[in-house]
Amino acid sequence: MEESEKEKNKSERLLLWSWGAGTDGQLGTERLQDQQIPQQLSISSVSSLACGGAHVIALTSAGKVLSWGRGSSGQLGHGEVVNNVLYPKAVTSLDNYFITHVSAGWSHSGFVSDKGCLFTCGDGSFGQLGHGDYASHSSPVIVSSFVDQHVAQVACGMRHSLVLLKGSLSNQVYGFGSGKRGQLGVSKDKIKYINLPEVVNGFEDVEIVGVSANGDHSAALSVDGNLYTWGRGFKGFEDSHLPQCLNSTLKFTKATLGWNHALAMTGEGEVYMLGGNHLGVLSDLHTVRQAKQLTVDSREANLEKVPGLDETKITDIATGAEHSVLVTENGEIKTWGWGEHGQLGLGDDGDRISPVTVSLGYDLSEAASTKVYCGSGFTFALTKP
Amino acid sequence: MSYDDVEIEDMEWNEELQSYTYPCPCGDLFQITKEDLKLGEEIARCPSCSLYITVIYNMEDFLGDSDQHKGIQPSKQQSVTVA
Repeated sequence: MEESEKEKNKSERLLLWSWGAGTDGQLGTERLQDQQIPQQLSISSVSSLACGGAHVIALTSAGKVLSWGRGSSGQLGHGEVVNNVLYPKAVTSLDNYFITHVSAGWSHSGFVSDKGCLFTCGDGSFGQLGHGDYASHSSPVIVSSFVDQHVAQVACGMRHSLVLLKGSLSNQVYGFGSGKRGQLGVSKDKIKYINLPEVVNGFEDVEIVGVSANGDHSAALSVDGNLYTWGRGFKGFEDSHLPQCLNSTLKFTKATLGWNHALAMTGEGEVYMLGGNHLGVLSDLHTVRQAKQLTVDSREANLEKVPGLDETKITDIATGAEHSVLVTENGEIKTWGWGEHGQLGLGDDGDRISPVTVSLGYDLSEAASTKVYCGSGFTFALTKP
Repeated sequence: MSYDDVEIEDMEWNEELQSYTYPCPCGDLFQITKEDLKLGEEIARCPSCSLYITVIYNMEDFLGDSDQHKGIQPSKQQSVTVA
């Protein structure tokens, strides 16, 4: 590291690192190549990130949006279709809005403004943009179904989207896009795809505070810490076409989804994993359960505490398609799962079956907060002084 | 080991690649050509990583007339609207 860089690090500013699959420019390193060790980026003023299949959307504290990576479906929102963008570029068509929440799916994107407007762009082939057709858009387009509502959150999966409304207890969560695996949660019947938002069933008497989507999975967290999942069944389990409350006494505060697993964090800083034993995403490959076609009621058996953390409290979690990342109370970043593209940041392309500490070459223990974000095969870490 | 089993109707025809594709967890696409399908090949590979999927399809749907195959829904893929 250059001396001038070290000086800059001492100043009060945020720090951003990326590693993993990079052949679409998604790492923001201005290079089209994978990185097996964390690369420090000089992108300033980012307050949060959303990472998709191979693109990244960054939100600034001023409510502005930047994006980079793969743009072949218009998912970057720059008003043009490009194979990839190597550096953070402003989504200028949203300049008149203060954006407070963003989400990146496989090849589509969602943006929520402080006034509760939802915009989507990118691939619309499965109706996942929610505009009533199957068109794709390279600029964010407002989702007219919600113009009289206040959208709080959007979550973009592989080919579907979920929306959480604010102050609308009876109809809080909506789904649209591909529904083949049950990921829309709008009907117990099989739905191939819908291109307009429909209400997700089962939350009539529950207050939902967060939604997430990845792969063909969907999840929601209630205000009292219950975790609901629907869509593709986690390994050995059937698909669920309606939200199922995880049978557990644990109270969760955050849940993130991969393509075959999920992580859930409790208020006490413990982390549990659902699914897994897939590509080494999970803990112990030697104790693969014979859990074929279990009913949803027995899903607690599929929930296991992430091993090797002892009593260390966890402050953040993230999941890529087949890898997992967490942050400890000591500011350490740990990764495990599939590592072929360097997405674990451990300097090689190997898999790990339990959390291993990533070396950033920088002491994060002084950082006020460290957040982690995963795209399908890559990882970002963001620290604030 | 095959990463997943995917029905051909869930794959998307990619004109540029001249292949049926499906998202790979690495960020690239699993790919298989019509010629491969005609030969009975059922493995779609990702050019960027070691993973592959098993494609579920009827070989008969790909035999006979070269481009018009029955049983496969027309691709919904449309051009991207540039605003």
